[in-house]
Order: sequence, then structure tokens, then C-alpha cells
Amino acid sequence: MATENLWTEHIVLQKRPRWMKYPILAWITTTDHKKIGIAYIYTAFIFFVLAGIEALIIRTQLAVPNNNFVNPELFNEAFTMHGTIMLFMFLMPMWTGFGNYLVPLMIGSRDVAFPRINQLGYWLLAIGGTILALSLVIGEAPNVGWFAYAPLTEATATCLSQSATILSQAETAAAAAASAAGAQGCFSAGLNVDVWAVALSVLGISSILTSINFIVTIIKMRAPGMTINRMPLFVWMMLVTSFLMIFALPSLTAGASLLLLDRHMGMHWFQAAFQGDPLLWQHLFWSFGHPEVYIIILPGFGMISEILPVFSGKPIFGYAFVAWSGVAIGFLSFTVWAHHMFAVGLPLVAQAFFSASSMIIAVPTGVKIFNWLATIWRGRIRFTTPMLFALAFILQFVVGGLSGVVVSVVPVDYQVTDSYFVVAHFHYVMMAGSTFALFAGIYYWFPKLSGRLLDERLGKLHFWLFFIGTNLTFFPQHILGLLGMPRRVYTYPSGLGWSSLNFMSSMGAYILAAGVIVFVANWFFTIRRPATATTDPWDAYTLEWVTTSPPPPENFVEIPIVRSARPLWDLKHPDQADWRKRAPRQPVPQS
Amino acid sequence: MSTVISQEALTEHEHEPQGRSFGWYGMVFFLASEAVFFANLIAAYLYLRVRAGAWPPTVEHLTRPEPLMTGINTLILLASSFPMHFAARAITKGDKRGLTIGLGLTALLGAIFLGGQAYEYVHNAFGPSTGVFGSTFYTLTGFHGAHVTFGVIFLLICFIRSLRGDFSQNKHFAVNAVEMYWHFVDAVWIILFLTVYIL
Repeated sequence: MATENLWTEHIVLQKRPRWMKYPILAWITTTDHKKIGIAYIYTAFIFFVLAGIEALIIRTQLAVPNNNFVNPELFNEAFTMHGTIMLFMFLMPMWTGFGNYLVPLMIGSRDVAFPRINQLGYWLLAIGGTILALSLVIGEAPNVGWFAYAPLTEATATCLSQSATILSQAETAAAAAASAAGAQGCFSAGLNVDVWAVALSVLGISSILTSINFIVTIIKMRAPGMTINRMPLFVWMMLVTSFLMIFALPSLTAGASLLLLDRHMGMHWFQAAFQGDPLLWQHLFWSFGHPEVYIIILPGFGMISEILPVFSGKPIFGYAFVAWSGVAIGFLSFTVWAHHMFAVGLPLVAQAFFSASSMIIAVPTGVKIFNWLATIWRGRIRFTTPMLFALAFILQFVVGGLSGVVVSVVPVDYQVTDSYFVVAHFHYVMMAGSTFALFAGIYYWFPKLSGRLLDERLGKLHFWLFFIGTNLTFFPQHILGLLGMPRRVYTYPSGLGWSSLNFMSSMGAYILAAGVIVFVANWFFTIRRPATATTDPWDAYTLEWVTTSPPPPENFVEIPIVRSARPLWDLKHPDQADWRKRAPRQPVPQS
Repeated sequence: MSTVISQEALTEHEHEPQGRSFGWYGMVFFLASEAVFFANLIAAYLYLRVRAGAWPPTVEHLTRPEPLMTGINTLILLASSFPMHFAARAITKGDKRGLTIGLGLTALLGAIFLGGQAYEYVHNAFGPSTGVFGSTFYTLTGFHGAHVTFGVIFLLICFIRSLRGDFSQNKHFAVNAVEMYWHFVDAVWIILFLTVYIL
């Protein structure tokens, strides 16, 4: 077998040390993009469960009025860690993991450009994640919200040294001391904020290194014939995302550094009493934070653009528009950050600018939606689990996108900012959008990663639990926000009209949890079955399905030559190959 | 370790033997990211400065440090780009001695710059916690100083490797990397010097 030859060659080339025979050491020291990708995916999933448990804590606390399920301190830690982990330790590493696994396969390469920097990126992520997880164990988890606004995060050197004594005193004395300290610019004396700043800096550096790796891989290592306009759309979106990461994450690193300097070197960047400015933090954070939103969603767009055509039996409609609208979103995402700050009193002209740019960015996003709809239109649709997740993604992402346009209108934003309306909006983007795209991708590529197809019946059960759970959890939150419920409140009195909606929302969260359990069970049973998946179980179009499932160590026996955006279609249908036609084909007959 | 390097080289060879190396692209994007980091610091500095009106803020009763001594220090740092350039040129012609001398001289000039910065820090009339002026001053110059420190360490590693004969006419990417990094750090300093001392 050609595969075995390749494997032997690999062994000879590498001269593996003897201790590499232990699988755990082989995994720890691996520089193989596929193993690192899988490590990312598993790590991210563990943190998904952790942050999901925190979400359940939040929803349980809010299920009924005047509830006392957890104490307010733990509640603050729960919503902060839920947001921080879901973004930085779940969605970003998931995209990085799938990017690591799939980008070299999709572009017909044997590995990434910098395998060891790739490895460093993973281990920095592991360190950052460990810092966050340990902070929960020692009871010093970040508790200032995932965007950690100054001056709440501020402390002075004197109060940091006193904090130890404050913590050891009786509760009333501690509260009195804390409020007195707050008057002197000491609002967060514990380790909590430091954990947040250090962990996010480490994770930021990890993402920057990984992005550099992706960019160079995609620029330099494409298979012969794969021009930039023949790249799979997932690769396109990973390229745009990588550029967003190297240009956006330094803002977060800079902000977190200044915060640490304020806290530990006695500096005054964000302290108004010394001519510093708390708003500077918001500018620094959101000039990272808004590109971050697109870092979270663009790879999902890419996955959807891979999955919809395959299960519609058609090429993507308007390939170039889907690709270049992603680039347009990338550029525009750097011009919208202050729409998070309308309520702080920006100059009118700034409000007008950021309101307009936030509406404009909906245009390239809408272009993609219409491309996807046109891709499905009159297609030969197969309702597999990945396709169900992809279709639900379109529906729900439209809801999230439209509520985003609503809050870009300044007067509306004044009314609903920091209310549950905003919570509903970004969960429709990140949960109903990104996470659905992610699960579509998991079901779609699982056979490639493991050699086994996930069970379709359990998969569909998972899908319906997620679909119902997501909409039941987050749709009522729109109404809650309009009724005036602020985000992050610990509890609320009855009689405000919030009770039944909150109860519905909490029930939805439990249904989501059931969905996760079904998924884990599906994974558990599937992974124990023999690896019988064929090379191309979905009748797909792109190069990762040319090689075996799972691929051999060097991915391809022979690097394929690419003549169109659907190289595998060309291989399977030589007489109807895309490169023979000038215009993209219309409805495609099943082979 | 060395076998892994050879594998990377093989992968690179299979794909595009022509054009810039992978490492060159990697350094460019790394430095782009670094540039954004400094751009953020400078933007934050200008934001506070514009909002304060007078600079340093009148309540702090400070004067800005004189640019003369730091100006001389700046010239020293700028001058260090020349031996760096000649060192990198030397190794492309196979001149290993020229490389070693150039690297050593660059590291020396970098160390002198750091000494000058340390002298200035000790003799300044204000500290990092004196007021927002001190905060911005020490943050901007300090982050740059940290980068120069890292650069000097990087140069010394290359210097030692050069003494050991690790570099050859065809295989000397670390020299190219340190050259790119060093020129970048110099360029950032020109902007920082103009922003913090002159503007």
C-alpha cells in the first residue's frame, strides 16, 4: 500500500527517539498539524463544557425571582468566566483547531509552514487556559465582566498589599474596608483581574503566532494550480480571520499590559483622578473586541460555505462574492468598535460615523446570506445532520445580524444598551450562529478526523434539542431587554413581567445541556466503533476528501494538481469537470 | 531536533523553492503585529495628551525631559543599524568574520543605548506613578526598551552562533531575522522619540 510506504519513509526521515513510543509523550511533543488540531479541538470542547456549566449556574440563578441559588460573588465570577472562556477558550481554539487540521489538507499541503511555532501556539493556549481554570479552583476567578471595564478593574499598589488582611476579616468589616478603598481608586483588590489580564495576554500571543502560521501556510504552500481564487472558502475565511487576529489582538495585549501597569506599577492610564481616562480602556478593548466578533464568526461562514454546496449538490453560488465579501467584512470590522460605547457620551460626529459603519458592515454579510440561499435554491438537498445545523445557522444568524443592525441605531442603543436585548443579540450571533456552524463542521468533518461517521439519529436528536433550546433560551431575552431587564443582574423582584420569560429562558438552557449530553454520548459510542469511514463519505468537492480518513502522516501520497475550485468534483467527473466550463454549472446530476 | 528541521526544509522545497523564504514571511507578519502593538500605545498616549490640554498636565508641575541627551542616544541606536546591515551583507557573500564583527558591534551599540536609557530613568525628576505623564513616558519608552533588550539578547545568541560557525552563505536565516527585528526596533524608536520628546 502506498500509505504504508509513506509511513515508513516518514519513520526513516524522523528517527524518532525511543520515548516517543509512549502515546502521551508522542502527543505532547508532536508537531503534526493534524494532531495539534485535534488537541485544540478537545481542549476547546472541555472548556465549552466548563463554560456551559457556568451558563447553567447563571440561568438557574435567574430562573425565578428573588432566587438565592448562588451568592452574588460567585454569580459575578460565573458570567465573567462564561463569556471569557466561551470566546477565548472555546470558539477561538475550535476554529484554530479545525483550521490546523483542515487548511493544509484543503490546500494540498503536507503540513503547516511552521510546525514548531504551531506547537508553541497550542501550548501557550494550554497555559492560558490552565491559568483561567486554576483561578476557579483557588476562588479568585475574574469577576469584572468579560470586557473588564476600568475603573472597576483598578487597584493601587497600597490597596493590593492590604487586600490580604481585608480578606481575612469578618464580612461586614471587609465590606466597609472595600467601600472605603473604592473611594481611593481601589475597586478590585484580589487576584481576579490579574488572572484575567495575564491569561488573555498569553492567549493573545498564542493566537498571533498561530495566525502568522496560517497566513504563511496559505500564501506559500498551496498545491500546484490552486490559485487564490480556487481556494476552498473555509481557507479564505481562515486567511481573513488570521489577518484580523494579528492586527486586532495587539490592542488587547496593549490594554491588558496598561491595566497591569496601573495595578502593579502605580501608573494612572485609566484613573480619572490623575488625568487618566477610563474611556481609553473601552477604546482599546473594543478596537480589539469588535474585530474579535468577526474572528469568531468568519470561520463559521467558511464552514457553512463548504457544507451547503455539498449537501445541495451544487457549487457555491457566487464564489468570488462569498470570498471577497469576507475580505470586506475584515476591513470594515476595524471601523465599528465604538458602537459598543454609544452610551458613554461620544461626540455626535463619532456616533454618526460608527452608527453608519455598523450598518454598512451588514451589507457584505447580507451578500453572503443571499449567496447561501441561492446555493440551496433548487438544489438536490440531503438533510443530513451537518446540513440541518447549516440551515439553522442561516435562519438564526439572520436574526442575530438584524438585531445587530437595530442596536447600531444610536437612540435605540441608548434604550437597550447593557440590557438583555444585547445579550440576546450576541448569543444569536455566537451561539445560534458560530456554535451552530461549528457543530455543522464537527458532524461534517468528524469522519475525516476519526475515520468514523457520527450516528445520524443521535445527531438529529442533538440538532433538534439545540435548535429548540437555543431559540427558547435566547428569543425571550429580546423581550426581557425591551422590558428593561439589565444584563448581569444577580436577581430581580417578581411583578416586573420578567418572571415567566426568565423561566422559559432557563428551561431552554437545560434543553441545550441535554443536547450537549446527547452529543457527548454520540461521540463516545462512535469513537469505540471500528474506523470504517470511506475517503469521501459525503460526496464532497474539496481536497481533504481526496486522502484517506483519517489522512496518513504526510497527508497525501502525491500532491494533487488543482484546476478549479472543486478539485474532487473534477476528479470524480472528468467529463463534466468545472475547468471545462467557463460558467459555473447549474443543478448537478448525481453521479 | 535537527531531523525535524530537515523535514521542514523538505516541505518548503516541495512547495515553492523560489521567492522569499517561509521565515521571511513569518517575520514580516510578526513585525506587523508588533507595529500594531506600538501603534496602540502611541494612540493611547496621544488620546490622553489631547484630552489633558497642557502636557504634562498642569497639576503635575513637571517639565518634559530634555531631548538632547536622548537625542544622542537615538543617534547611537540608529548608527547600530549600519553594522547590522553590513553583517547581513557579509554572510550573503560568505564572509563569516564580517558577520561576527557586525553582530558584535550592533549588540554593543544596543547595549550602550540601553545604558543611556537606564541613566535617564535614574535621573528623571518623575517616576512611573508620579502622574499620567510619568505613566505614559515610562510605558512607551519601557516597552521599547524591553524590545531592545530582547534584540540585544537575540544578537548575542547570533554572535555566539557565528563564533561557533553555525552560519554559512546559504544557511543563515537567524541573521536575516535579527536584522529585520533590529531595523524594526530602530524605526519604532524614531517614531517614539519624536512623539514623546519632540512633539
